[in-house]
Amino acid sequence: MAEIMNNIKILRAGKGMTQEELAEKAKVTRQTIIAIEKGKYVPSLELAFKICKVFDKKIEEIFKTI
Amino acid sequence: MSYKNFKVARMLMAMFIAMTVSIAISIENVLLAVSAIGIGMISMVLIKRSVKEVLVDEMVKTIAGKSALMAYSITVPVLAFLSLILMFSNLSSRGSEMYNLGITLSYVALFNMAAYSLAYYYYQKKYGRDNE
Repeated sequence: MAEIMNNIKILRAGKGMTQEELAEKAKVTRQTIIAIEKGKYVPSLELAFKICKVFDKKIEEIFKTI
Repeated sequence: MSYKNFKVARMLMAMFIAMTVSIAISIENVLLAVSAIGIGMISMVLIKRSVKEVLVDEMVKTIAGKSALMAYSITVPVLAFLSLILMFSNLSSRGSEMYNLGITLSYVALFNMAAYSLAYYYYQKKYGRDNE
């Protein structure tokens, strides 16, 4: 199965946003954001779209398959 | 209420219930034990409502689902195996405590399987797997 990576950490740092703020905007716990950033947890399509909306990016700009 | 305060409140409530139920058991007062559990449950619902942060999200649900499946996969075979041993080792003394315990455990295993099958059927229907 292809591994899905993301650049949320870079985008978040670029916006000067904390994990807690991103979690609040995406309506998830901070632990989920930490797991997604580390690549330990692959978010659902719904959550992926929410994250894309927060950063105002397309899904393929944030999530990539390896 | 913040998540940190919620965790403290949850711990205090668990301590209150544990202490009250222990006292209720030692003085053999069922009403006190039931009331303590009832008060605890109502308080937890009210406390959870006051928390602004997200407590349960998709990752928590995924973890809970996987844990439940693993717990089921372990519990049912262990219960079934144990009940078989208890029943077959006490075949000569049917009606003994151990034999009855084996029967009870086998029913518990069957109840677990029935509950799992019903839940599985419900979610299969919900997510439209029968439409394939």
